[in-house]
Amino acid sequence: MSALVSVNLLGAVDQGEVGTEPYRVSRDGHPYVPVGDGGIVLGLRLGDSAQVLETDHAAPGACLVHGNLAAAHALTALACVGNPVEVRTGAGAGARGAVLGQRGEGERVIVVLAPDDLSRLRPGDTVAVRACGQGTPQPVAGVTALNAAPGLLDALGVTVDGETLSVPVRGVWPSRYVGNGIGRPTPSWSMELALPRPPDPASGPELALGDLVAVTDLDTRFNAGYRRGWLSVGLVVHGGSPLPGHGPGLTVLLTGPADHFALEEQGERHAGLTEARLLEVARGQL
Amino acid sequence: MKVASNARGLITQILAGEVWPALGDRHAFRVDPDGTPFVLPGMGGVTLGVHCGDPATGHAGDHVEPGLSVRHADSAANYALQYLSCIGNRLVVASGPAAGAEGFVIGQHAYVLVDMPEDRLRQVTTGDQVTVHARGQGLVLTDHPEIRVKNCSPRLLDLIAGGTAADGRLEVHVAAHVPPEAIGAGAGMVSEYANTDLMGAYAGLGEDLSLGLESLRIGDLVALEDQDHRYGRGYRPGWMTIGVISTGSCQLFGHGPGPSTIMSGPREAFHTVVDPDANLAPLGDELSAAMA
Repeated sequence: MSALVSVNLLGAVDQGEVGTEPYRVSRDGHPYVPVGDGGIVLGLRLGDSAQVLETDHAAPGACLVHGNLAAAHALTALACVGNPVEVRTGAGAGARGAVLGQRGEGERVIVVLAPDDLSRLRPGDTVAVRACGQGTPQPVAGVTALNAAPGLLDALGVTVDGETLSVPVRGVWPSRYVGNGIGRPTPSWSMELALPRPPDPASGPELALGDLVAVTDLDTRFNAGYRRGWLSVGLVVHGGSPLPGHGPGLTVLLTGPADHFALEEQGERHAGLTEARLLEVARGQL
Repeated sequence: MKVASNARGLITQILAGEVWPALGDRHAFRVDPDGTPFVLPGMGGVTLGVHCGDPATGHAGDHVEPGLSVRHADSAANYALQYLSCIGNRLVVASGPAAGAEGFVIGQHAYVLVDMPEDRLRQVTTGDQVTVHARGQGLVLTDHPEIRVKNCSPRLLDLIAGGTAADGRLEVHVAAHVPPEAIGAGAGMVSEYANTDLMGAYAGLGEDLSLGLESLRIGDLVALEDQDHRYGRGYRPGWMTIGVISTGSCQLFGHGPGPSTIMSGPREAFHTVVDPDANLAPLGDELSAAMA
């Protein structure tokens, strides 16, 4: 087994994005001004609903970007959920947090900080990321783990049971729900579920930020694509969007043939990744 | 198609474009569904030997773009070209040895894609200028307000078999129905730009990848189940989208032959008829006949 390699990377806190025309158009044809699409988002935390707020792809923390496109690709592809981050400049310098996930469009990495630390950030502040996790050995033969920092899968309650992985999830969705992110490289993009807002019981249980979710018939080892009999497990890292084909976004953590997984569908009982557990995973790597 | 529309009220805009080069990066390789790296032609430049009516799969290519791949060097002018060019629009080559040659738009794929007779296509190369007679955005089917039409020239509307049925629905002839599991890259993007890659059409790869779409042809009209493309592209149970296959073979996972969107509305607004002749090929036949 090869040892994992850690690299120190740098990102800058993003401002968030609104186009020249302030409006985007919702799936029903209504113009809206996007709120929370990148940048520093206050008042949204792990455990909050990913489907109710009037926001557009809002993440519970701050998004990091890099001005050089190739460096931005490296940042999104190498940063893993649970990696430690440290604010290097500005009023929040010295504050520590953790990577929550990534968003492909705009090459953003989402980081979580304690609310007091988050409120001291300003766009342009730089944040160091200790990236480690890509190249993780298969937790059971045939199942690929990606985007997961050392210790993360344990913290999420994923356990090895012989030749299968036991995984607690909020629910299971068929691959036809996957919109933006399909066909894109999973180390760099979130996979968005085209779920309605407000939530509709016909489309499964309501998702919260930090939930673990399973998607059937989806192979996400490289690009995300349809493969009958496969399964992918991801973490909800940002909230929904009024745009058609967009919705709560998953950073993929596990993928393999479905018979290698024992899913526990917890529905309303599910308690996903909490801020405390995420920060603990990050501290474990320092 | 026998249907009332506002086609007489549409305007034509003359747009300039340029045959755009194929693009690569220094790493060259991309990765197929099984993790096998490949280097294959398909996007950009002038792609020979693939026309409307030909199989969309079975080529050793990736994102095969039949004929000309056209962009504009200026970003805003390029968006105008991509958004306003409609399937069936006339295109004329404006420079180089093929100047004066005609073709027709078959769809968008972050390039405007153009089919033309093979002997003229052979004379065109990257950098040649083209002129598009853009007409079609704003088209409305006046008796079918719940259906949104886009990227569809009045000429294409005339070509499609069907029309307003006795029960008030819109009859549309399509070569195939596509299940929502097949929708790949392009989901979430605006539907006036690029197209919707269909998975499940990887001829020669595993059965577990197949969704029965290996027999699609370039130019086929297809019906996408549970897709709402009125204001973008998204999964929505009970909706339907009609598209025209404008790109072919892919090896990149999550990608595949792609329809450019022409209509979208509630499922019950459509009456689809499976018809193997539902294809753009007659537009190519007309051009070839005019040249002969």
